[in-house]
Amino acid sequence: MQVEKMGFPTAPLVTIAFEGLAHSNAASRGMPLERICFLPHPMTNKTDAEMYAVLEGNDPISKKPLMPEIIAALTQPLTAEEKKTGSISPDIGPPTYVGTPDELQRLFCDNNLTDYMPIILPTEEKVEAMLKGTSHKPDEVIGKLSAAQGAQPSWTFTVRHVAINAVMAGASPEHLPVILAISATGQPSLFSSTSSFTRMVMLNGPISDQVKMNYGIGAMGPFAEANSVIGRAWTIFSKNLGGCGVPGLSYLGTLGSNFNYNNLCIAETENRLPDGWKPFHVQKGFKPDESVVSIFSGWSLNNIAWFPNMPYHELIKNWLTHFFSFGTSAATVMLDPTIAREAKEKGFNSKEELSDYWSKNSKTPGWLYWDTHQKELKQAQDGVEPYASYLKMGDGEIPFQRFYRRGRPGAPPAPDANPKSSIELIVLGGETNTYFAGGDFSYVTSMSVDKWR
Amino acid sequence: MLGISPAILAGSPTPAEAAGKKTPAAAGPAKIEILNPKGMPPAVQLVPMAPRLDTLEGKTIFLVSDGFAGADRFLAQIAIWFQKNMPSVKTVYRLKAGSYFDDDPKLMAEIKASGNAMIMAYGH
Repeated sequence: MQVEKMGFPTAPLVTIAFEGLAHSNAASRGMPLERICFLPHPMTNKTDAEMYAVLEGNDPISKKPLMPEIIAALTQPLTAEEKKTGSISPDIGPPTYVGTPDELQRLFCDNNLTDYMPIILPTEEKVEAMLKGTSHKPDEVIGKLSAAQGAQPSWTFTVRHVAINAVMAGASPEHLPVILAISATGQPSLFSSTSSFTRMVMLNGPISDQVKMNYGIGAMGPFAEANSVIGRAWTIFSKNLGGCGVPGLSYLGTLGSNFNYNNLCIAETENRLPDGWKPFHVQKGFKPDESVVSIFSGWSLNNIAWFPNMPYHELIKNWLTHFFSFGTSAATVMLDPTIAREAKEKGFNSKEELSDYWSKNSKTPGWLYWDTHQKELKQAQDGVEPYASYLKMGDGEIPFQRFYRRGRPGAPPAPDANPKSSIELIVLGGETNTYFAGGDFSYVTSMSVDKWR
Repeated sequence: MLGISPAILAGSPTPAEAAGKKTPAAAGPAKIEILNPKGMPPAVQLVPMAPRLDTLEGKTIFLVSDGFAGADRFLAQIAIWFQKNMPSVKTVYRLKAGSYFDDDPKLMAEIKASGNAMIMAYGH
């Protein structure tokens, strides 16, 4: 569209899986009649001959011969509609809805305003009560939210909008500052990607006990009101305040993720950290008595119950070597406090020391290394070292530290990032056994909750 | 699906409902009024499309990949198609910088300086 704006005709080619997205994206950027030509999906795995055959075939949507359609997109004179200018305000419906509770539940459910579970209906009285949970004015604009910043429209929202959605999720006024802080990060829980992103939110500081977050037995399960409603609110407000989560338009995750119902809303077990180990928010530069939410982004999580004949830090190093998901260069490990204490006894005096150990000593399975290092594979086949020696190792463990934070040459590391390791470490759980969980989550950002009280 | 029509609700609104007030309970559950939970999407500024070319003959077309796997190979096939079917068309392949939704001002400037049209491939 940038090129169209410059005065040059374009013909965007889009695979049919993205038909809805392509049209809605063109419309939201002001060119609803953009001349999009469609291709079969997927194209990635076709041979060159198969791709050429696509060109000789028809657009699967319009059923017209593809190449003449592309040429027509660039040469056919514009219609009056295609030349239109002006402004369109999207219709978001009336300010209020009236009906019986059952009718309103059905209305909200049928129009994708919920997570498809019953909600608390947001009456004016309930919303006013919710707003007592913050000192901020109802009409204060908090920020913007989008299903994919830059690719999808950014919606604006206020404190009142968040309060309405918090009511719907079943939250209480005491939860509102946390939900406002999450919204102020500008991070949606439902990201538009085809890869079915999962988000995670963690509370640290005094707020965890103030709202009665569960970080003991079953810390990642449905065993406390705060964990449940705060996590749920994130998904509901992502839909309503950012236009996220409309399948085919603003959500393309092919498999989706069940985690999106609650977004892994957790709190760190700060009172059971080994001596010298800092709570997560302190690692990121906040003071211990500050209340903070931290956002993570990833796809998957392993919950690992295993009794190894080796120290746990060695077991987890081996798990990191062989863990495979879409994210191959970042990880977050959740340790039960019993494992954290064992690591401390083994000489790891901080989370950073343990994270660095894993980063330096975990390796990469041969198949994964070569699948993600095609240039090095060519060099290996040409006898260039050390790649040639790596190739002789077959599917063995290649000494490539995939969790070591290399960064772009010359680029300074993020101020709150561990300069060496991309492995984050969280301690939580009820100490009923020596288990841990881990996944491909990477840290995104943190936000003060106190600011939103 | 940005808006929702209140007409979806069963029954016609009474004047009291239209004024935003609760109605007294009659037969069946009482009706209540609740707030629309939606935020504020941005207004859309319509952008007129660029004037089209009279013909592609003798023109330079940029073939631009958004970086997803396979787009480069597919665009190479388009270049071959033009060589076979419209040999006077000059094609120039470029990989757009950044992620699929980032702008690439340097490439845009190059197209402006030396191109007549663009074919861009999105998808997987």
